[in-house]
Amino acid sequence: MKVIIADDSRVMRQIVMRTLRQAGFGHHDYVEATDGADAFDKVVTEQPDLVLSDWNMPNKTGIELLRDLRGSGNPVPFGFVTSEGSEEMRETAQAAGALFLIAKPFTPEHFESALVGMLG
Amino acid sequence: MTLYSAPDQALVHAAIEQVWGSMLFEAADPWPEGVPAEFETGLQAHIEIRGGWNGRLVLTCDRDVAAQIASALLGMGPDEVIDEIDVHDAVGEVLNVVGGSVKGAIDGAMTLGLPGVRASASPPASEESLVVSWRGAPVHVQIVPDAPAA
Repeated sequence: MKVIIADDSRVMRQIVMRTLRQAGFGHHDYVEATDGADAFDKVVTEQPDLVLSDWNMPNKTGIELLRDLRGSGNPVPFGFVTSEGSEEMRETAQAAGALFLIAKPFTPEHFESALVGMLG
Repeated sequence: MTLYSAPDQALVHAAIEQVWGSMLFEAADPWPEGVPAEFETGLQAHIEIRGGWNGRLVLTCDRDVAAQIASALLGMGPDEVIDEIDVHDAVGEVLNVVGGSVKGAIDGAMTLGLPGVRASASPPASEESLVVSWRGAPVHVQIVPDAPAA
């Protein structure tokens, strides 16, 4: 399966991928996107099976990315990996169509729990 | 969960302990009293918090400490060399996650900015900072409320 990881921090993208490997999801294809606008373009061209996105990014935020995807009719499964995990943000994410929100700092278990059944 | 009207040093220290423990696998002990918390060439990361409380968190540390933090965050070995751009990125991300935790503990609708990092020639005054120990070296974290409007 193909997964897009959208985060404006290269270091954080590396950490998300390392944690996914630790959670047993190392055999999937990972495509990096440097912000929400880049992620939108890559969703169109790469046709991923899942998008993991930061919330707070330049050019296009994660929630704007999700709303733009759904607004264009794209149903790609979508989850947030973000430093902010308030109830309000979780509700906003869910209302926009996100499947889950993993708050930083995270552990492999957080990814395992959110992605089991979705990524084999 | 207790909600704060403004961040204080105890809240910020708790956030740092959580982030360092889970992402860097290091303790964040308070800096010992009476020991000068100095360094030569430093990096300073900052992030804004907006909403019911307006201000920023500022993290300042020695450049070598910043490189060690980045190396720990990336899980690199002791002999691996890390790029300066990744050091800035990593220190900004550490403060970003601390800021997210602090923001979540403040009452009301709040927003978090994007982290910024720059070189810093000297540490802030200790009395203005929460100082924690990274492997025996000081890391300063300041809570800087916006100046009241004139």
